[in-house]
Amino acid sequence: MQAQPMTLLVIVSEAVLEDILIDEITELGAKGYTITEARGRGTHGTRAGRWTQGGNIRIEVVGNTQLCSQIVKRLQAAYEKDYGLLMYTAPIELQN
Amino acid sequence: MQFEPVVLFFLLGVFAGLVRSDLKIPGSIYEALSIFLLLAIGLQGGVKLAEFPLSELILPSLAILFVGSLLPLLMFPVLRYLGRMTRADSASMAAHYGSVSVVTFSVGVALLAQEDVDFEGFMIVFLVLLEMPALVIGVMLARFGVGKVRWGKMFHEVFFGKSILLLAGGLVIGFVAGMEGIKPLDILFFDLFKGILALFLLEMGLVAASRIAGLRTYGVFLTTFAVVAPLLSAVIGTILGWALGLSVGGTMLLATLYASASYIAAPAAMRIAVPEANPALSIGASLGITFPFNIFVGIPIYFWMAKFIHSIGG
Repeated sequence: MQAQPMTLLVIVSEAVLEDILIDEITELGAKGYTITEARGRGTHGTRAGRWTQGGNIRIEVVGNTQLCSQIVKRLQAAYEKDYGLLMYTAPIELQN
Repeated sequence: MQFEPVVLFFLLGVFAGLVRSDLKIPGSIYEALSIFLLLAIGLQGGVKLAEFPLSELILPSLAILFVGSLLPLLMFPVLRYLGRMTRADSASMAAHYGSVSVVTFSVGVALLAQEDVDFEGFMIVFLVLLEMPALVIGVMLARFGVGKVRWGKMFHEVFFGKSILLLAGGLVIGFVAGMEGIKPLDILFFDLFKGILALFLLEMGLVAASRIAGLRTYGVFLTTFAVVAPLLSAVIGTILGWALGLSVGGTMLLATLYASASYIAAPAAMRIAVPEANPALSIGASLGITFPFNIFVGIPIYFWMAKFIHSIGG
């Protein structure tokens, strides 16, 4: 099978939002996602991941450009103000 | 004044954190320790509850819940107007201080065990019941009818979050099994209790150390509040416990419950329901000041208050 051009969206946010973010993402039509626990530092201070709610999660979604930008818009509008939220996209080639 | 040596592990954790030791309790171990503590406390209560007529519980439960719900309502105006905090921050703080801490309660239980003082098993029921109302009141204080609240998500977080689930689950299992039925589990859940609590306190010390650095930014008001609020709440708890006819141990634990501030359930619930509140303020105060204050100074004082009121009031 030939490699298909797709977009990778990476969302880094607070672990406490996990269920809420997943609901939003799947509602917008994402077919799947990958979550990893994360630690780090940013404008919301150090997120050391010591306590369940003190940690971050990193959600990866692969989809077309339109889906990724829809997700970005939705999350930005609803969560950027009050929560730590970092999102970025990269063009990728899906291999399987 | 009585002193429970297990709290020294907390100091060791704080020390390790301050000197930036590489000591770190892995997340999965911490999870396992907290599951153990919650179940052990629940079971302990359930076993004692089995020997008690439940119908006699209704009236004291209502009184304790009612007064417990008043506490955040009393704290909110103090935080809002005396402390000049924002509405969201005041409400979130009131929720943290109105709700309860399982580990603080556990240290109280450990002290009573060391002093060989018995307490009513149903105190654990109050531990379960008191976690919730302050959180709801906190959210209502923050909102007052404006703005949308993720109530469903918050209730789910609180009721089916592991702390209530395991405490209540342990309570039911202990109640059903009774003293005899639980015997095979004694070694794990009762004999090892203090050792596990020690490890948990070590981890809490590490976490608290990371909060201590931020204390300077909190200012005099918040620091004072974090010490005075638990003391006043404990006085109310002591009087109520005595008025309800609780034993010395029960009175002390009720004072400890009212005095304790939540730093696990409340932060998660407030983060979802009142996102504009600054979590660093409330967690910093409850974990960085109130928790150590309670386990080192508070609990011995509450124990003394309970003995005192029983000696003068009979």
